[in-house]
This record gives sequence, structure tokens and C-alpha cells, in this order.
Amino acid sequence: MNKTEFLNKLRTALNGIPQDDIEERVSFYGEMIDDRMEEGLTEEEAVSGIGPIDEIVTQTLSEVPLTKLVKEKVKPKRELRAWEIVLIILGFPLWFSLFVAAFAVVLSLYIVLWALLISLWAVMVSFAAVALAGIAVSVVLFIKGFIPHGIAVLGVAIMFTGFSIFLAIGCVAASKGVVRLTKKIFIGIKSLFIKKETAK
Amino acid sequence: MDIQLKRGLLDVCVLAAIKNGDSYGYKIIKDLNPYIELSESTLYTILKRLEAASMLTVRSAEHDGRLRKYYHITDAGVRRIAEFKEEWKEVISVYRFVIMEDQHE
Repeated sequence: MNKTEFLNKLRTALNGIPQDDIEERVSFYGEMIDDRMEEGLTEEEAVSGIGPIDEIVTQTLSEVPLTKLVKEKVKPKRELRAWEIVLIILGFPLWFSLFVAAFAVVLSLYIVLWALLISLWAVMVSFAAVALAGIAVSVVLFIKGFIPHGIAVLGVAIMFTGFSIFLAIGCVAASKGVVRLTKKIFIGIKSLFIKKETAK
Repeated sequence: MDIQLKRGLLDVCVLAAIKNGDSYGYKIIKDLNPYIELSESTLYTILKRLEAASMLTVRSAEHDGRLRKYYHITDAGVRRIAEFKEEWKEVISVYRFVIMEDQHE
């Protein structure tokens, strides 16, 4: 891939973010390629040194705020005609409610995910509580002289301690996973705004 | 390395690379290369962030028949480097303590 091809591909891949931002990035990477070539690298080598375009796109998406992407997408490419404006206003009850519904669906899915996580933690905490209570009860039983009962209760308490430790490890891992997933979903939502543009 | 930590370090590295004279993108990457790996897309982000924080300014100048962007450190940038040095004195003393305790074992 030569420099022009690379920059054109980059421009297409970034389509959907504001034009100024695209041009600024394109000129930045163009300068990088020129500087590498000045050092004696061939054009191909200089381009491959920049790294994959996908990486640049992902990085860019994580930086450009979602609001900016939406604004760019919604911004009409030309002046709206009168009948189009009328249609938008008349259709408001329809498209606005659809928009709210779509947003609610995404939000509820997300809340379900967190609810799942919270219930997992709740189970862990209740197991830990059982373990603590068991230990306390067994101490009382030992003092009162019910040795076999005390041993049985202590055994159960130790078992629940084990359960809660296992669950805690799982909970931490799951929480981290959900946080990572959140970031991915966010980048995914953002990429919706630029992928559609390039497909046209 | 922890992402947050690396991000903070890279900011200061880039500032240090332009402290003793204006520099341009590719030169910054080359100057930092022996110490910390930095990709073009990461550098772009850092430069933008530092510019937004008024720690550096950008100017375009002609070089070899084309335009090249040069980055110039501001007073705020110089102050950031000074802060970094102060902060890391503490980090280094903590590090020494950790190493010492580790050896006593």
C-alpha cells in the first residue's frame, strides 16, 4: 500500500466523524509517512510502520465523544426542503417514540446485566453471612456443652466460607468482565455511526 | 504496565521530548523509542490532550517543500514536568521501601 492509498483508506474508514477531525488525522499520518521516507525507508515500509488502520479507527472512536458522532450523523448534508421539515415535525410522535423505545431496550439490557452481577454478589455476601453466623452459633454450642452439634455447625460454617471465597473470585472476575464489555459496547455503538457511512 | 500509569508517564515523556526545543511527531517517537514504546495513534491522542490542557502549542512550518507540525512546550507544560519529578520522588522512596522489605524476608 502506498501513501495515497493508505490515507484514502483512512479517510474512508473515519467517515462519520467531523470533517475537520478527519483531515487533521490524515495530515498527521501523512506527515509521519513523509518523515519515515525522509529517513530512507521506502514508501511501503513507511506506510506499514504506521500500523493497521483498524487500530487508528478504534483509538479515534474511543476519543471522539458519542454526541459529536450523533451530531455529525444527524446533520443534513444539504439544506432541508420545506416538506421534509414538515414531515419531520409531523412524524415526531412516531420517530421520537421509536427512538425512545430503542434507547430503553438497550438500557434495560444493560441494567439486566448489572442486576445479574448484583445478585451474584448478594449470594456471595449471604454465604459469607451464613459462615459467620455458623461460627458464632458453634461457639455458643461448644460453651453450652453440645460438642457434636457444635462440630456439625462449625463444619457447615467452614463449608460456606469456602463457597463464599470461590464465589468472591467469580464475582470479581464477572465484574471486571462487565466493565470491559461496557467499554466494548460503547465503541460498538460509536462504530455504528461510521460503519454505515462507509457501506454506502 | 497499568494503562492509567502508562498514560500519565507518556504525557510527561512527550513533554520532556519537546522541553529542550521544538520537535515534530516522528522525532518524538524516535527520541522516546529507547525508553518507552509509543505508537503513532497513541502519540496523536497525547498531543491532542496536552494541547487541550495548554501544555503545548502547535505551529506548522515548511520543511523540504511540505508542511510539518512542530510542538512547543508552554509554561504549564514545564510546570507539569516539575510536578512529575516531585511526585516521583515519593514513588521512588516507596519503591525503595518495598525492595528493602522484600530482601529482609
